Amino acid sequence: MKAKTIVAGMLLLAAPAFAATPEGKPPADMSGGHDHAAMMQGMGKPSWTLYPTLKVRMSGESRENMVTTIVPQNFVPGGVMAFSNNLDDPQGRRLLQQGMGGATLDKPANGGFHWLSAHENRDDREVVASTVHSFGERGAKDPTAMFMQQKHDLEIIPQPFPREHSRYRADEDWKFLVRFNGAPLSGQKVWLETSNGSMAEFVSDAQGVFIMHVPDDFKAEEEKAAAHNHGRRGAEFVLATEHVDSGKSWLTAFNGSYGPNAFDQRSLAMGLGFTLLGMLGAVPLLRKPKTGKKGEEAGNA
Amino acid sequence: MLKSIFPTLGRFRFTVQIVMLFVTVYGGALLGSYTVDRISQALPSLSCAYDKMTGDHCILIVNQHQLHHRVGEALAKAQDITLKVFIPTLMSVGVFFMLFFFLNKAFCGWVCPLGTVQELLYRIGRRLGRPLNRFTPANVGRVRPVKWLMLLVLVLALPTMAGMGIASNELGDPFCQVCPSRIATTLLTADAEQIAVRTSSSINFFLGALGNAMFGFVIIAALASRQPFCRICPLLSWNALFQKLSPMRLVKKEAHEKCEKCGVCEKACPMDIHEIGAEFGKKAFHEDCTLCGRCAEYCPDDDVIQIKFFGIKLFGSSRDYYKDRVKQESPAGMPKKRVINIRLAKPEQENG
Repeated sequence: MKAKTIVAGMLLLAAPAFAATPEGKPPADMSGGHDHAAMMQGMGKPSWTLYPTLKVRMSGESRENMVTTIVPQNFVPGGVMAFSNNLDDPQGRRLLQQGMGGATLDKPANGGFHWLSAHENRDDREVVASTVHSFGERGAKDPTAMFMQQKHDLEIIPQPFPREHSRYRADEDWKFLVRFNGAPLSGQKVWLETSNGSMAEFVSDAQGVFIMHVPDDFKAEEEKAAAHNHGRRGAEFVLATEHVDSGKSWLTAFNGSYGPNAFDQRSLAMGLGFTLLGMLGAVPLLRKPKTGKKGEEAGNA
Repeated sequence: MLKSIFPTLGRFRFTVQIVMLFVTVYGGALLGSYTVDRISQALPSLSCAYDKMTGDHCILIVNQHQLHHRVGEALAKAQDITLKVFIPTLMSVGVFFMLFFFLNKAFCGWVCPLGTVQELLYRIGRRLGRPLNRFTPANVGRVRPVKWLMLLVLVLALPTMAGMGIASNELGDPFCQVCPSRIATTLLTADAEQIAVRTSSSINFFLGALGNAMFGFVIIAALASRQPFCRICPLLSWNALFQKLSPMRLVKKEAHEKCEKCGVCEKACPMDIHEIGAEFGKKAFHEDCTLCGRCAEYCPDDDVIQIKFFGIKLFGSSRDYYKDRVKQESPAGMPKKRVINIRLAKPEQENG
């Protein structure tokens, strides 16, 4: 068991390095001279992974003035595409406007889920990073069809993505689908890395589905740091997979955030204790009066 | 055909309640994970947002969040209170009240999952032979103002104050933290997270402890009293604000001479609305009424009590219906044939 873990760890360490330098060149050499790519160079490099990711940054003083910026990290794509869950909207699939700080995701009137992705092509290799952002507007369309729409050759698709009032949380299992050219990839290895330092490997089943077990890797000392965020702690993860076919290789990554486990900063024992206390408070109501009255039902019948 | 499936209004309402219990508690699992994002817009009903399988969201969490995040924050920054700020709030409240306009308090009596759970517990209590604790005309007045206090303080004032920065951010949705439905509906989906008390701060801990104690009290009290939480639920007061505007209403004949001596409708009312027996006309449709229709079912005179929609009678009391109904169940909800008899010590007396 221990040996397996060490081997898996070594593979995981090797995989991102291979992903980032497929031909022995550093990612910065992969810009290809594109204007957008030039602007995006060096925008952000998270220290916790070498896989390509899309960082979603929120800024602005109020909810109404919030600006959402998408920053590619660890790769140099030509631009960032957004796919709205409103498939009927001609603007639903669009290339985001690029600025110095990243690509700006404009909020459509009906809000809802957006699939964000960016890809970088170089010779016989394609690198793709994807993530999902939701504006939290109620009444938006079901995003399942949009998620399932083929956007790239090699894809990792959440099955499903956490809905409103929900998110990925530590110690939970979430399903994902791995596809290549729209067809499920069975036996495909997928690697997980988190900003808290965890690594894991999953393998897809015959239907191309794998289950990501979100690692419970939050540390107690991080609690104070989360005070500014409504007390909600968060970390990031990235799932990555690689496929080689007919001499061409694909690397696809899906990144997102996750929170501590459901019982973090909660006490089940105390919860049950207070519930029991309330129950005891109501017990006198269950006792029958000592008077000779036969009961309410007798009078009501 | 329909009459054989639903021989009584009570059976029909119970069927609707069970269907709605599944929709509001498990709707997301049945209809798709993202259903909640869409149904909430069309049916901002009574299901708990903390339930991860629900197909819907309760209007009260929407109210609290919008007051907290939108109205309160806007007031604090002294910005222009534009339509852009208020439209989302008006939309959710407006859609809710539009539905409420047509259904009136049938929302409470026919749809609410916590109401259904309490009724189921009460039925179990009847079968276990537990006593019925009722509020008398003399003391029911003490509990009635609590629902208004809950609305004003927990749903309106504290979330707004939290948004303005006057109150702690943890008071953004205080009603949800004490609402028993949060724990009941999540437990129904085998999720124990919400019954675990939050320990991250003293406010969270206090609200959680209060909510759990309330939940414990309600589920035991429901065995021996009818709809214990409904009496203080802020949604009852929210609805009461617009009760008189709805075309769906309870109508009682003016000055019916037999009512003074009868009082069966009072015994049938799960909300202990004694006014239904003593008052007539519009006054009989009390602010605590949930339009369950039991008073009409158990009124022994023809068309004295009716449920009307745009003036059209949907259901009216009748002597024949009453005779059949009391053969099945007493006005207080005691079934004529008990399934479980826990007083096994003296079976002869019970049967004799």
